[in-house]
Amino acid sequence: MSLPSDFFGRIVFILQLYGPSFLSGAGKTMAIAIVGTFIGCIIGFAVGIIQTIPVIKSDNPIKRFLLKLLKFILNVYVEVFRGTPMMVQAMFIFYGSSVLFGINMSTVFAAYFIVSINTGAYMAETVRGGILSIDQGQTEGAKAIGMTHFQTMVNVIMPQALRNIMPQIGNNLIINIKDTCVLSVIGVVELFYATKGVAGAYYTYFEAFGITMVIYFILTFTCSRILRYWEKKMDGPDSYDLATTDTLAYTSGMVKFPDPKEKEDK
Amino acid sequence: MTGEKVLEIHHLSKTFGTNVVLRDIDFSVNAGDVTCIIGASGSGKSTLLRCINLLETPTTGEILYHDVDITDRKMNVPSYRTKVGMVFQSFNLFNNMTVLENCLVGQIKVLKKDKEEARKKAMMYLEKVGMAPYINAKPKQLSGGQKQRVAIARALAMEPEILLFDEPTSALDPQMVGEVLAVMRTLAKEGLTMIIVTHEMAFARDVSSRVVYMAGGVIEEEGAPADIFGNPKKNSTKEFLNRFMQG
Ligand SMILES: Nc1ncnc2c1ncn2[C@@H]1O[C@H](COP(=O)(O)OP(=O)(O)O)[C@@H](O)[C@H]1O
Ligand SMILES: [Mg+2]
Repeated sequence: MSLPSDFFGRIVFILQLYGPSFLSGAGKTMAIAIVGTFIGCIIGFAVGIIQTIPVIKSDNPIKRFLLKLLKFILNVYVEVFRGTPMMVQAMFIFYGSSVLFGINMSTVFAAYFIVSINTGAYMAETVRGGILSIDQGQTEGAKAIGMTHFQTMVNVIMPQALRNIMPQIGNNLIINIKDTCVLSVIGVVELFYATKGVAGAYYTYFEAFGITMVIYFILTFTCSRILRYWEKKMDGPDSYDLATTDTLAYTSGMVKFPDPKEKEDK
Repeated sequence: MTGEKVLEIHHLSKTFGTNVVLRDIDFSVNAGDVTCIIGASGSGKSTLLRCINLLETPTTGEILYHDVDITDRKMNVPSYRTKVGMVFQSFNLFNNMTVLENCLVGQIKVLKKDKEEARKKAMMYLEKVGMAPYINAKPKQLSGGQKQRVAIARALAMEPEILLFDEPTSALDPQMVGEVLAVMRTLAKEGLTMIIVTHEMAFARDVSSRVVYMAGGVIEEEGAPADIFGNPKKNSTKEFLNRFMQG
């Protein structure tokens, strides 16, 4: 087989020959992005929740000290990972773990690990902001019916914070789909790395990366559409049905109110 | 058990930084009492209610609930709050839940009731406040008056011994005030023990068994509604009421 001379001919040629390389690269990219975002969210939630635990004066001093220490360590984690490039983190962790600790990570494990803790650092800030953005009245309403701090978080604050930060989670996923390409520096065979191999074989950089552009765009665009649909579903229906007769069988002591809609009709 | 002392407050004070908001407050509440607290804005009414519910920690003094000091560190605060409910000026309904869920969550998660029983109770109280048809609505889909009625049902569903109201009608459009006050009148008639901070003087006069007038962080005067409104002893009370009646 020889390389066709026209652009589209070359595209078809590359796809026929290297289609599976692109697919497996894209698959690896998506796997790293999805798993990394998911674990990153879990880390982010854990860290964000701990950072918003109030330090109560009436708690015993040891508990207060440990909580403050934990918050400090988590702060360092967040600042360091937000303040350095993921590409550098990848090199540092991948080579550092073998030099310092004698751990030989597989490149794939390193990829999941790095994306997860990097996303975790960003999500921690997002989650913290999401929790703090919920009106204080929600917490007081929950406390007033006897909920503990934990029950308040789980039942009232987190569901609302989660809904508010859904767009940010989506954003992180999209960023991760694109940014996994920096992991090529430690030899992870994701879409970018795979493309470099394909392009080099016949010196078709323009065509190969043209294909890869399209693949990245399809991946990110599809994900953002799915996430937007999911957000809409979380919001529930815009209208509600009035409950029907049996609940209207009023018991004694009932106060009767005019239906506001009836009033409007008049 | 009408008449039994349920709540006693001794020498309660509250300071925010250097700002003394409550000073040496003393008063008690008997079962079945409807106590209305009136007073100018900033006089410490909300802070007093919030101390009773432990949303604020009193600086000094004690609050005895059935002779147990709730300001004690060892006190199980959440469990105390299930006995002393609170209705807020800004409703504070859980925005992520429907009307029915708002009335269920405390019963199920806090009181550990089974779902069917909780649902029956929730429906009973929602019917009482006239909100049963709206069980599937979310708070943002309701008017202010409707939200406050749901908030009252949510508090009632916990079957508290005392219910605190912090200006429950102040955030409402005038035409919605009546529907909330009507619910509260019914509760008073049924003998629920209530402490109500309000600017609705007619309501306070008709419904309460006792009126407390607060100014500058202290209780200026307290007594039967007929006395406070008809024949106030202190000049400051007189002036406040005059100013208030004029609008
Ligand atoms: N969390 C707080 N921090 C500092 N000052 C507060 C706080 N809450 C209330 N205050 C002050 O306490 C005073 C009484 O407030 P409040 O109890 O809300 O009065 P009222 O309900 O009678 O209008 C006000 O001067 C207010 O500024
Ligand atoms: Mg107030």
